Amino acid sequence: MDQTTVQVFSVLFVMATVVLLYTARFFERRRRQRAQRQMAALERLPAWTSQSIESSRPLHLSLGASAVGGEDTPSALAGAEFFYHLIQSGAAGDQAPTISTSSPTSVPLAQDTARRAWEGDSLLSARWYPPGLAFAGGLSAAMAEDEAAAQILAGKLGPELALILDGADRGGSLAVSDQLEGQAVAFAMADETLIGEELYAAAGYVSDEASASRVAVVIDVWRGLLIIGLTLALLLAYAGILPWLSWQLLLAAVVAATVLGLILARRS
Amino acid sequence: MRRMPSLGSAISSLVAFAVGMTTLLSLLLGDNPELFGEQPGREILAERIAAPGDVMLRLATLMVALSIVLGVANLLHVHVLRLRRHSLTSAVLLASFAFTLYWHVAQGDATLLEAVLVPIESALAALLCLSLVHGASRVLQKRADIWGALFVLVVIIVLLGSLGLAELAPVQTMRDWLMAVPVSAGARAILLGIALGVIVAGLRALLGQDRAYRG
Repeated sequence: MDQTTVQVFSVLFVMATVVLLYTARFFERRRRQRAQRQMAALERLPAWTSQSIESSRPLHLSLGASAVGGEDTPSALAGAEFFYHLIQSGAAGDQAPTISTSSPTSVPLAQDTARRAWEGDSLLSARWYPPGLAFAGGLSAAMAEDEAAAQILAGKLGPELALILDGADRGGSLAVSDQLEGQAVAFAMADETLIGEELYAAAGYVSDEASASRVAVVIDVWRGLLIIGLTLALLLAYAGILPWLSWQLLLAAVVAATVLGLILARRS
Repeated sequence: MRRMPSLGSAISSLVAFAVGMTTLLSLLLGDNPELFGEQPGREILAERIAAPGDVMLRLATLMVALSIVLGVANLLHVHVLRLRRHSLTSAVLLASFAFTLYWHVAQGDATLLEAVLVPIESALAALLCLSLVHGASRVLQKRADIWGALFVLVVIIVLLGSLGLAELAPVQTMRDWLMAVPVSAGARAILLGIALGVIVAGLRALLGQDRAYRG
């Protein structure tokens, strides 16, 4: 594909996603009728929150190296949204949760998330540690001292996650990373694991807010379309007619999908 | 009843939307004169479209560089407050910070970095290796299912295949196939999912639907 095709396709993709975000209500209503896709990893969160309240031990939440202002800003925002709802669900306890990060630009985000979600004193909630192995070392020491009830790590985490999870045996642990190495370590060592885009959809599962669950709906819609698109492309390539696929065709498909979405939104 | 947004959150949402969309469109459409066909002055037009994106990216880079001060301030603030709880770790950290600062100002050399930090980081790296092996050995305890067993099997094949021994040539072939086909496909699937999540979460923030702007 030449640069113009890529640019046109990118703009169309962004526009279609914006439309989907506004029209997700319709899909969401349909989805609730046939039950939301389950994320087994999130089922233990209420138990950990209760344990934190009953034992007066804090929950430890971490954004890893996700930085506001960098290419992983969305993962920082998605992690903060997830943590906001999680903290709110355990707001009856007397131990403020801690939110750690190794990116200094995420410190205000972490502090603001704790301040808004936690009713009590949250002065100590946001904690910055230097990045890399120093983050894992500093965090492990601090968590051992705080005796965290559970560790929930969602963001940009690499192999250093192994050191953190190794020290998390006293409580439960849930981990998800937007890095492949971190994801592999999370699968091997955490009690519960989310994978890939589930990091961005997790807030919708721990929140009653419709706007949070729309992200999960839109990701599911795009993922379905992506699977159909990849299968079609594979079949076309196999049949030797893939060159027939052009940006004009993609434009027509996206416009048709957008019009269809708008019609469905009006009818809902 | 739906809560009305405050003036502050409305303004911050508006600023985020305006700046975000301008930067996004600038990055998506800038620096490509071909987009404007044969129109005269198309190079200048393409450069002008790319300019806001460049400016915002430079500003973001500058802010990220300056934010390290914020991180250090947070670290000191947290540990000063923790001293009230008689935290030994915090006392050690604050004393180390003060001593390092004094040493750097008084001596002006990097002895502490080379003599203390580098060995500690190396020790942590070695510990990381042990932690990974320990974690892999406990996979079947945590996940006693077919996926846990498959994970361990793949780890063993990849490790044995990486040894490069002539006797293990079939294992090496299997390792190469694993890395080229299933691992590559799985990694791409995860990255595609993450990319979708990034786009949706990013646009949600730009549209002011994110809590960070809603107050």
